[in-house]
Amino acid sequence: MVLVGGRGRRLKRITKSTAKPAVNFGGKYRLIDFVLSNLSNSGISTIGLITQYEPYQLLSYIEHGSTWDLDVNEGGISFLTPYTSISGELWQKGTAHAINQHFRFIDLYNPEYVLILSGDHIYKMDYNPMIEHHIQNKSDITIATFKVDNDPSRFGILEMDDASRIISFEEKPENPKSDLASMGIYVFNKKVLKELLDNSDENFDFGKDIIPLGLREKLNVFAYKFPGYFRDVGTVNSLYRANMELLDSPQYLKLQDYADFPIFTKSVNLPPHHIIHSEKVINSLISDGCLIFGQIIHSILSSGVVVKEDTIIKDTIIHPNVKIGENCYIEKAIIVEGSVILSGTTLKFDEVTVVDNEYLWKLGENNE
Amino acid sequence: MNSNIFAIVDATFKDNLEQLTLHRMPGALPFAGKYRLIDFTLSNMRNSEITNVAIFPYGNYRSLQDHVGSGKRWGLDRRRDGLFILPPKNLYIPPDEMITFQRMSEHIEFFKRSSQDYAVITPASIVWNIDFQDCLNEHLKSKADITEIMYQNIRLKTFIISKKLLLDYILTYDSQEYRTMLELVEKSPNLKIHIYKHQNYTRTITDTFNYLKSNLDMLRFNIGVTIFKEDRPIYSKEKTAPPTRYLENAVIDNSMISSGSVIDGTVINSVIARDVIVKKGATIKNSFVMSNCVIEEGSILNFTILDKQTIVKKDTHIEGILTSPYVTQKEQIVSSFENLKVLLVASESYPFIKTGGLADVIGSLSRNLVRQGIDATVILPLYKKIKTTFFESLKYQFAKTIIYGKERYKVRIYKYRYKKVRYYFVDSFDFLDTEDVYGYENDTDRFAFFNKVVVELLDDLDPFDLVHVNDWHTALIPILIDNSKHKGLKTLLTIHNIDYQGIGESDIIKKLNISDFVFKDETINFLEIGINTASKLSTVSPTYKEELKYEYYGKNLTYSLLNREREFYGILNGISTSFNPLTDKSIKTNYSIDNIELKIENKLFLQEKMGLEVNKDKFVIGMVSRIVEQKGFDLILNSFDELLENKNIQFVLLGAGDVKYISELEKLAKRYPNQIKLNIGYDATNPNYIYSGADVFLMPSRFEPCGLGQMIALKYGTLPLVRRTGGLNDTVFKYDPLTKKGNGFTFNNYDANEMKNVIISAYNLFCENKEDWNRLIYRAMKSDNSLVKSTHKYIEFYNGIKKN
Repeated sequence: MVLVGGRGRRLKRITKSTAKPAVNFGGKYRLIDFVLSNLSNSGISTIGLITQYEPYQLLSYIEHGSTWDLDVNEGGISFLTPYTSISGELWQKGTAHAINQHFRFIDLYNPEYVLILSGDHIYKMDYNPMIEHHIQNKSDITIATFKVDNDPSRFGILEMDDASRIISFEEKPENPKSDLASMGIYVFNKKVLKELLDNSDENFDFGKDIIPLGLREKLNVFAYKFPGYFRDVGTVNSLYRANMELLDSPQYLKLQDYADFPIFTKSVNLPPHHIIHSEKVINSLISDGCLIFGQIIHSILSSGVVVKEDTIIKDTIIHPNVKIGENCYIEKAIIVEGSVILSGTTLKFDEVTVVDNEYLWKLGENNE
Repeated sequence: MNSNIFAIVDATFKDNLEQLTLHRMPGALPFAGKYRLIDFTLSNMRNSEITNVAIFPYGNYRSLQDHVGSGKRWGLDRRRDGLFILPPKNLYIPPDEMITFQRMSEHIEFFKRSSQDYAVITPASIVWNIDFQDCLNEHLKSKADITEIMYQNIRLKTFIISKKLLLDYILTYDSQEYRTMLELVEKSPNLKIHIYKHQNYTRTITDTFNYLKSNLDMLRFNIGVTIFKEDRPIYSKEKTAPPTRYLENAVIDNSMISSGSVIDGTVINSVIARDVIVKKGATIKNSFVMSNCVIEEGSILNFTILDKQTIVKKDTHIEGILTSPYVTQKEQIVSSFENLKVLLVASESYPFIKTGGLADVIGSLSRNLVRQGIDATVILPLYKKIKTTFFESLKYQFAKTIIYGKERYKVRIYKYRYKKVRYYFVDSFDFLDTEDVYGYENDTDRFAFFNKVVVELLDDLDPFDLVHVNDWHTALIPILIDNSKHKGLKTLLTIHNIDYQGIGESDIIKKLNISDFVFKDETINFLEIGINTASKLSTVSPTYKEELKYEYYGKNLTYSLLNREREFYGILNGISTSFNPLTDKSIKTNYSIDNIELKIENKLFLQEKMGLEVNKDKFVIGMVSRIVEQKGFDLILNSFDELLENKNIQFVLLGAGDVKYISELEKLAKRYPNQIKLNIGYDATNPNYIYSGADVFLMPSRFEPCGLGQMIALKYGTLPLVRRTGGLNDTVFKYDPLTKKGNGFTFNNYDANEMKNVIISAYNLFCENKEDWNRLIYRAMKSDNSLVKSTHKYIEFYNGIKKN
C-alpha cells in the first residue's frame, strides 16, 4: 500500500497545484518514481495507491503503470481514492485511517503480509530482505529504519535491543533517545494490521497511534536496518539538498549505475539536449530537449528547458519547460515547471527560494 | 479520424554501412543519440494517423523486432489493424534494391485484409518528417495512378498507390516484367505518375557518409527544428537513464548529448548517445558516438562513428574524413595503432608470381599498408619461377627442419625487401619447388606443408599482431596456430573466390599433428576449416559477402558462413592510381574529366587498330575478360545474334580461356565479321585501348566476387554495363533517367534477354541523349575505387581484430 496523499505544505509553491509525490526530482524523475521502481525491482506488483490531494496529475502520470512494468494481468496498480461509505466518513484523517478506509482492497487479494510505503521518499531499496527479516523473526510488525545525520527530532525515533526488537518508539521527540529513525515503511502481518486498526480508537496515524499501540500490546515489533541512502524531502531545503547531493555526492544514490536497479521514469518525447554554444557547462545534470546557449554551473535542468545567451545559472534547480531569456543571472533557486523568466532578470538568493510565474509577476510589478 | 492509407515499411534491402550493418538492419541503426532510423518512418505513420502498418524485414531482424515491440509507441498496438512484421517465406533470396511484388505476394492476406484504399510504400531508413496524408491528398488531386515521393533530386523509394492497383501487380507478379515499384514507374508507359516533392530536410541513409552527415545535420538548428517538431514528434522506445552529467572539465560546443552520459572532456560538433563516458582531456569532434562507449583520457576523435560499447583507450587518435568516416565495430577496443604488425600469407603476390587477381591484391595491399604506416610482412612459397627471376636478390636467412607426417623435411628461408614490404620465401625441394603454382596432384599436401612451415616460422620472426591468410591455400594456418604455442594470435581469412576450396585427404590433419579434430567426411575441406577457425572472415566486396549467405553463391559452405555471419566482412578491393587516362602512356590521346571530348580519339584509334569501321557514331561494346563460364559468355552467345542485327553496334573482346567458349565466339564473329573483333590470348592488344576506347564495358558475370575491370573502365570513362552481382553491384550504379544519376548500366537476372534489353537502352541513350551520356561519363570518372580507400578499410578492420 503506497500512501501518496500528502499535501506537502512545507514544499510551498512547488506543491501548489500538484501532489507531493508528483514533484520533480533530479532533472527527470518524480518522487513517486522511486517507490514504484523499488516495487518493480523487488518483484511486487499488486499495489494500492492511496491518493487524496490533487490526484489528476499523478493519475495521468502513472496511467497503467507500464513505465514501471506494473501493468500486469493480475494485480497491478489500483488507484484508491476517498469515497463515501455508510459511516459517512470521507476525508482521510491520517496514514492509518487511509489504510483502514481501503482495507476492503487488501481483503480482495488476501495477502499474508502488507507492505506500507510512502510516495515521497528518495531511496533505492529492495524490499525482499526486509520481508525476509520479518518472516525470520516471526515478527508482527517490522519497521524499516535508517541512521539520521542531523535533526532526529523531525522523525519517528526508536530504540531497539540486540535482537533488533523495538523497545521504544517516539514520534518527533524533543529529546531523541537514538539516531535510529523510522522510514515510515512497515511490514505488517495482515491479521495483526486488521486487529490494530479495528481496536484502536485513535487509528489516524501509524507513527502516532498504531505503532505505539502495537508496542503496548506487546506484539513482536522489529526494526530492519536499511543500509542504503534515504532522504525524506518534505521541505524546500531538504528537497534542494537531496537534489544537490546528486551533483556533489553521486555515490549516494548511484543514479548513473542503473543497469541492475533502475529508477524508471516516464520519458518525454524529446530529442537529446542541444548545447549550441556555451562557455561553461560544468558540474551539472541536463535532461533531454533542453536548448542551451548560456552557462550552467552546479545546477540541475529538467527536460525542455531553454537557456538563452549570456545567461548564467548557478546552484539552481530548474523544473521542466522553463524558458529563461538572455542576460539573466540566477543563483540558488528552484524554478517551478513552466515558468518564463524574461531577459535581463537577476534572481540571486542566499536562501533557497522557490520561483514560479506568480512570483515573477509580482517581481515584475514591484520593478515597475 | 484514422487514415485511409495502410503502410508497407520496406526493410528488405540492405545498404552497405560496413560494420554497422553487420548485425543489424539499417532500420535499426541508432540515430541522433536516442532514436533508431525506423522511428522516423513509424512516427510519420503515427503523425499521419496511419494505423495499419506492415514491416517487411530482411535477414536478421531481431534488433528491429526488439525495438518496435508491439508498436505501442507509435499507436500501433490495436485490436483492429496495428503493426505486423512479415518475414520472408524464402530465406534464400539475396536482397534486392527494394521490395518486390513477389515478396509482397508472400503475404497477400495482409493486403487483402487491409480495409484502407491506399497504400504507402516507404523504406525504414530515411530521416525525415513527412505527412503522408498530404501526399495522399496531392495524389488524389493529380488523379495519378502512382505518386512517387522525392526530395530535391533524390529518389526515396517511397510511393503512393491505390490498394486495387497494387493488388493487381502483386497477384500477377510472375507474368510481369516489373518486379518493383521503381521498375514499374520507370518502364510502364500506360501509368500516370505524379511526383510529390517533399520540401523539408530528408536524407536517405545509404552509406556511412550519409549516416554521419545526417547525424551532424541535426546540430544545425534550422534543420533540427524541421525534424523534431513539437506538433509532429518523433517517438522512440522508452529507456531509463538519468540526465546527462557534466563534470568540472567539460567543454561543449554545438553538440547533442543524451541521457546517462558523463562528460568531463571536450565535445565539439558531435552527437553523443546514451551512457557514454568522456573522460577528462578527451576531445571528440564531428563524430557520432553510440551508447555505452568510453573515451579515455587524452584521446582525440575526428569524423568517427563509434558503434556501441566501443572503448577508446588513452591517448588514441582516430581520424576519419566526412566522406569516409572511421567506423569502429561494436565492443571494439581501440588503442594507438601506429605500430600495427601484420603478416600476410598467400600462394601468390605480384610482382613475384601471378596467376590471377589474388596476386594483385596481396601485392598492392601490402605496399599500401606500408605507405599507411603499417608494418607488413608477406610469406610466399619459393616457386621455380620466382627463383629464376629473383634468386640473385634473395637473401638466405636460415634453414629449418619441419616434421610433416612421419618424415622430416628441410626448408630454407629467404628474405627480400620490396618497396618496404618484408617478404619471406619458403624454399622446399619436396613440396614447393614447382614450375607452376597450382595444378599438381598433391596440391593439398603442398599447401598444408606450407601452412605448417609458416606457423613454425612464427617462432623465429618478431611477433605479429595479426595474421592475414588468403583463400584455401593458407586456410589451415588458423587451426595450426590454435594448436601451437601461438594460440590466441588473431587471424583473418579472406575469401577471394569460394569456388576453390582445397579438398584433401583426411590424413593431412594427422600429418600436421592436429589433435581433437572432428572429421565429418572422408576428406577435409581447407577453406571450410579456415572459415570455422579464423578469428574473423572477409571477402572482397560487401555484396559478395551477402550473396555468399545464399546457396546459389555460397554453395556447400553457405551453412558454415552463416554460422560466422557476425564475424564476416566485405571489403572492396581498389585499383592503383596508375590507372589514369591522363597519364597512361599506352593510349592514343590522354584525357581527363576536364576534357572528356578527347576520349573519342581513343575510340577511333581502337576501331582502326581492330579493323572495325572507323566511325564515332558506331556504338562500341568492349570486354576484357577471362573467357570462362563465370564471366557470362552464355548470355553473350545467346543474345548477340539478335543484338548485332543493328549494324551500328560493334563488339571488341580481349581475353583468353576456355576453348569451348572461344570456338563458339569465333563462330559468332564469323557471322558478323564487320562488327565483332576478337583478340584471343592476352597479348594481342593492349587492354587499355579498350578501357579508353569503348563506349560501354560489358561484364555480364554470373558471379563476381569483386571485379577490377569495371573499376578501370569507370576510371577511363567507359560506362560499365554489368549484372548486379558481387563487387559489380558495389561499384556500378545504374543510370536513372529521372534523376540523371548513376555511372553505368545494370541488369538483375542472369538472363540473356534482360542483358540485351539493357544494352539496347544504353545504345538508345548513346544515340539520343548526348548530354546525359556525357554526364554519366563524368560521374563514372568521378567514382572513387582507389586502393587507398580499400587499404584504409583494411586497417580499420585489422584494428578491430587485433588483440588489445
